[in-house]
Amino acid sequence: MEKVTLRVRLLRLFENSAIAGPLITLIAIYVLSWLFVPNFATWRTLSGIITAVSISGIVTIGITILMISGEFDLSLAPMIAMSGYLFGSVSVGADNLIVNTLSSWGLPATVGQGNIPFAIFLGLGVPALMGLVNGLILIWTNIPSFIVTLGTRQIYRGLVWIVAGAELLQVLDEPFVYQVLNGKMEGLNDYIRTNLIGPEVRDRVNFRYATLWLIGLVTIYQTLLVRTKFGNHLFAIGGNEGAARTQGVRSARARVTGFVISGMLAGFAGMVQFSQFKSVRVAEQTGIELTAIAGAVVGGALLNGGYGSVWGALVGVLLISVLRSSVILLKIPFVPADNFPAIVGVTIIASVIFNNWLRNRSTS
Amino acid sequence: MAEAVLEKVNDPFADNPLVVDMQSITKRFGTVEALRGVDFQVRKGEVRALMGDNGAGKSTLIKVLTGVHTPTTGQIVFDGENVQINSPADARALGIETCYQDLALIPLMSIWRNFFLGRELTTDIGPIKWLRRKEMAVQCRESLKDIGIHIRSAEEKVGKMSGGERQSIAIGRAIHFGAKLLILDEPTSALSVKETGKVLDYIRAARDRGLPVIFITHNVNHIYEVSDSYTIIRQGKSVGTYLKGELTQQDIADLITGAREK
Repeated sequence: MEKVTLRVRLLRLFENSAIAGPLITLIAIYVLSWLFVPNFATWRTLSGIITAVSISGIVTIGITILMISGEFDLSLAPMIAMSGYLFGSVSVGADNLIVNTLSSWGLPATVGQGNIPFAIFLGLGVPALMGLVNGLILIWTNIPSFIVTLGTRQIYRGLVWIVAGAELLQVLDEPFVYQVLNGKMEGLNDYIRTNLIGPEVRDRVNFRYATLWLIGLVTIYQTLLVRTKFGNHLFAIGGNEGAARTQGVRSARARVTGFVISGMLAGFAGMVQFSQFKSVRVAEQTGIELTAIAGAVVGGALLNGGYGSVWGALVGVLLISVLRSSVILLKIPFVPADNFPAIVGVTIIASVIFNNWLRNRSTS
Repeated sequence: MAEAVLEKVNDPFADNPLVVDMQSITKRFGTVEALRGVDFQVRKGEVRALMGDNGAGKSTLIKVLTGVHTPTTGQIVFDGENVQINSPADARALGIETCYQDLALIPLMSIWRNFFLGRELTTDIGPIKWLRRKEMAVQCRESLKDIGIHIRSAEEKVGKMSGGERQSIAIGRAIHFGAKLLILDEPTSALSVKETGKVLDYIRAARDRGLPVIFITHNVNHIYEVSDSYTIIRQGKSVGTYLKGELTQQDIADLITGAREK
């Protein structure tokens, strides 16, 4: 047996794990920000970053699954909005087009009366259906998913516009399900406030339940990818579809399932988001797909498929979010809060170069 | 005619049962007749090379056998039974394993994941098919060892291996899954001389297990090294089937190009 030195072991770790490179980058940037960015080392910033990542993180899980199988979905933002409108309206029984139409169809939605189970069913089911349509168009026409979803993105936005009656939805009630999906973790926040911050320091902390949902979903989907036959087939299809097919992998079915899953996750993100803000607009989260793709790529996923991990993608979105906060707090001239994407762009390219460099080093 | 040749010489496999018996196969793509009544037979235990120039129809013939194309007319008897092969899955179910030149393995996946792809060992928990990863890694390593293929670790990614190593893993996989017939599509075309030697060894190992092999190639030297007999296809027709040693390399080359009729 060859002697396995620490260096070799570390290199093997990089080689076998998509996450090692991005994790190093995240830690480095986090430590640098902690040391050099004013006001970064506060609970307020930390909990803000984590809460922001919770919603985009859920969407990123779906995008990562699709990217591993070699596909994209650019129509996730309208799914988030659709879910927000349906879930929001039905959960409180808002007097709007959605609830009135559903009850006129004899479905269990009544004005002034929330129906939580039906709201959840619609919030997950309709985006899943939208994902299914994307997947079916893809396999029936063989048009690349990038193009298919570029089209459905506009169509779905139009559908949301119709369903929403072109109006912003805002609710005042707060059914318990909102608490469960994305309420404040008061116990934890209080504990941190009294024991870790102290009364004399001006700092706030705001952890929310969405973070727990995110951790749970990341764990479930990472396990699904690595430990199940379905996950194995997704990697195979993304890696070399022809080879996968000759080995009896049912490519069309697996890819369509990927679209349904990512639609459902977008729907869940829409419900979580609505639970926090209690409002939704037609253009909700426009462009989140690109942030999610950036997160997945920074986290080690390959744009042409066959490689990546949900953990890595989560690290990727965290990295982008940490950077965003640092850049805003640094108050650099020409890079105010509104211009932080410029910095994020640089980082995306830099971290992909770094990832590739690490991977090449460890494979040679 | 073609088959007459096989019968009149001393064929060591003549008494073995037929594994493949393709009878007057034709295949038409629109107005193009790719196969014009080909008869093709392989007996148990023999390594048969299938030769022909580009576009001669050898790939089409194999694709008919592996379910990629359905024949326009003609019938296939496999292992004594009249069969309809409508898809690659049908062919696999019959025990026909094919190693395609460039469609064999997935570079970004580990050896064991490639080895068991589409035939994963799983524990089913409701709809979830949980991979038995350790078991597959061990089985993969062991069964490759049985054929004489030594790998460092089944966790290694296929992309890091040489062309010859990949080809041998694809062949090892086919042998492991109890193929009744192994088809190799240009297995040596992209390999170095040394690696080619190894691949030819694995083909011999397959034959030693009694597994019939059909092996598509351009390379006359490889046929001389490893095959028992060869069939030459030209312009959608079988020119003939010959035993090893019956013809010189020049004869074979002439028959492939049609410079000379038999």
